[in-house]
Amino acid sequence: MTIEQLDARKSARADSADSAGGARRRYAQEVLALARRWWIELLRERLNLVFSLAQPAIWLVFFGAGVERAIDTEVIGTDDYIGFMLAGIVTFTIVGNGVSGAMPLLWDKETGYLDRLMSMPIARSSVIVSRFVFQVVQQSAQILLVVSVALVLGVRIATGPLGLLVILLTAALLTMSVTAAFSALAYAVPQHGTFFAVAGFVSLPLLFMSNAFVPLGAMPAWMEVVARLNPLTYAIEAMRTLVLDGWEPRVAASLAVLALAGVVCLALGTWQFRKQTGERVRG
Amino acid sequence: MSPAIETAGLRKSFGEHVAIEGLDLTVERGDVFGLLGPNGAGKTTTIRMLTTLLAPDSGTARVCGFDVSAQPSEVRRRIGYVMQRVAYRGLLTGRECVEIEAALYHLPRREIPLLAKAALDAVGMLPHADRRWTTYSGGMQKRLDLACGLLHSPEVLVLDEPSLGLDVQSRHNVWEFVGDRRLGGATILLATNYLDEADRLCNKVAIIDNGRVVVQGSPSELKRAVGADVVEVATREPERLRQVIETERWVKKIVAGDMGDLHIFVEDAAVALPAVMRIGLEHGIGLERVSYSQPSLDDVFLLHTGRELREAGVAS
Ligand SMILES: Nc1ncnc2c1ncn2[C@@H]1O[C@H](COP(=O)(O)OP(=O)(O)OP(=O)(O)O)[C@@H](O)[C@H]1O
Ligand SMILES: [Mg+2]
Repeated sequence: MTIEQLDARKSARADSADSAGGARRRYAQEVLALARRWWIELLRERLNLVFSLAQPAIWLVFFGAGVERAIDTEVIGTDDYIGFMLAGIVTFTIVGNGVSGAMPLLWDKETGYLDRLMSMPIARSSVIVSRFVFQVVQQSAQILLVVSVALVLGVRIATGPLGLLVILLTAALLTMSVTAAFSALAYAVPQHGTFFAVAGFVSLPLLFMSNAFVPLGAMPAWMEVVARLNPLTYAIEAMRTLVLDGWEPRVAASLAVLALAGVVCLALGTWQFRKQTGERVRG
Repeated sequence: MSPAIETAGLRKSFGEHVAIEGLDLTVERGDVFGLLGPNGAGKTTTIRMLTTLLAPDSGTARVCGFDVSAQPSEVRRRIGYVMQRVAYRGLLTGRECVEIEAALYHLPRREIPLLAKAALDAVGMLPHADRRWTTYSGGMQKRLDLACGLLHSPEVLVLDEPSLGLDVQSRHNVWEFVGDRRLGGATILLATNYLDEADRLCNKVAIIDNGRVVVQGSPSELKRAVGADVVEVATREPERLRQVIETERWVKKIVAGDMGDLHIFVEDAAVALPAVMRIGLEHGIGLERVSYSQPSLDDVFLLHTGRELREAGVAS
C-alpha cells in the first residue's frame, strides 16, 4: 500500500469514529495497546520476568523454614504459620510491584515518550489503567505460584478454589490503590531520585503498620488505629480469613473498603496525571 | 475552511522567563510552514502549545479551527507530532512501535498491519522493521518517529527539527518525505535551525527570535525585501571601512558578521563591488576578501535582528 492509499482510508475511518459504542471501544483499544507494550517489555527482560515471578514463592519458603520457629502461635492465633504469612507475602508483593511498576512511567516521563503519548487522542486515564491491567495479570501469575508452593508446604485454603479466585480479586483491588498511588507519585516528582527516596521510605512502614506480621488484636492500641487506616490491612484480613477460617462476613467488608480506597486512589492518580501533563481540560 | 493553524497573542512564560510573547501566526491549509530561529527562540515551546502539551498563559491557538485549550482531543486527532528529541522506545521492534501507536490512534484493528507497513515503507524502514529499537542508529530512530507521525494521515504534521543530527543522505530522505506529504495535501509545520532546509522546503517561514515573530512571509519575498544583493567584505579594519562607506548612496544597510566581516546590503552588487574596492584602496584599508551573494535567509535574519543565526543562540 502506498501513502496515497493510506490517505484514502482516512475518510472511511472518520465516519466510524463517532458512533455511540465507539468511545468505549476506543478506550479498550488504547488500554490494550499500551498493555501490549508493557508485556513485550517484560517478556524481553527474561531475568526480570523470572525473578519477579519467583520472588514471593521464595520469600514464603524462607519465612516458612526459618521464622516459624520464633513465632508464638498463641499470638497469631493459629498453628498454620505459613498459611498465616501467605496473605502478608502476597500483599508485600503487590507493594513491590507497585514501586517497580511505576518505573516505566518514570522513564516515559523522563525520556519524553510521555509527551508523544499525550499528543495522541487517548484518554488521560488509559496510561494508568493499562498499567493496572498489566500488573493484575502479572501478579495473578505470581500469586498462583506462591499459593502452589504453600500447598506443597501443607497449607490448605479453607475456602477452596473459589476462595483462591476471591484472593486474586482482593489482590486486584489492592493493586488498584497501589498502582494509582505510585503512578501519582511518579508523575508528581521532579526526577526519579525523589521517587525512589519516597517509595523506599513508605513501603516498609506500610507493611509494618499493617497486620502482615501481627494480628490486629495483638497490637498496641495506637498501632491498631494506624493499621486500620492502612488499605493493606484490609487486603491481608480478607485473604487471611479466606485461607485460615472460611467464608466470613468480614471478607465482604474488607473488599468494600478496598474498592473504596481503589476508587479514591485512582481518582487521585488521574488528577495528578492531568496536572503534571499540563492538562487543563478534559481529554 | 478554517486555517490549519491560527494563533493570536499567544504567550507563555516559565517563571520569570518569557519564552513566547504576542505570537501571531497563520498557517493555511497545504502550507509547508517553517518556524525558523536560533536555539532558545521558542520554536519548541510554540509547538508544545499547538500540540496541546503546554497550556498557553494567554492568547489563543486554533488547529483546524479547534481551540487547543478548549477542545484538545479534537486537536490531537488531527495532528501528527514528531518531537525534536527522539522518543525512547525500549525493547520493542520498529514494527511493534508503529503498530501500537496505530492502535492508540484508534485505527481499525484489521488494517493496522498494512498501515504500519506502509508507514514504515514511507520512511525506508521496512527492511529494519523487525529489529529492536535499541539497535537502531540515531537516524533510523528519527525515521521511525517520522513513520509514527504520519500513521493516521494527520491533517497537520508538526515536525520539530526533523533532520537534526542526520547525515546528508538521511536529510535528503526527510526532505523527500516532506515533499511527498506536501503533494498529498497535508499541512506541515516545521521548526528548524537550518536555513537551507527552510528555504528548500517551505513556502512560508516565520523567523522567531526571543519568543517573537521578527518577520514572516515566503522565503523569496523575505529575500527580496532584504535588497538585491549582499556584499561580504573581510577586512582587518571593519569599523573604519564601515565609516567610510556608510554614507554611499548604494548602501542600504551594513551589519557586522560574527567573524569580523561586514555584510553590506546593496541594490546592485555589480555597482557596489568595484566601488567597495575603490574606496578601500583610497583610504588604505586592506581588504582580504570581497564576495557577493544573492541574499539567503541568513541575511534576512541578520537584517532583522542584527545577528547571524548561527551565532544568535549563544547570545540572548
Ligand atoms: N520547561 C521549561 N522550563 C523553563 N524554561 C523553559 C522550559 N521550556 C523551554 N524553556 C525556555 O524557553 C525558551 C525557549 O525554548 P524552546 O525550547 O522553545 O526553544 P527552541 O526555539 O525550540 O530552541 P532549539 O532550537 O534549541 O530547540 C528557552 O529560553 C528555554 O530555556
Ligand atoms: Mg526546539
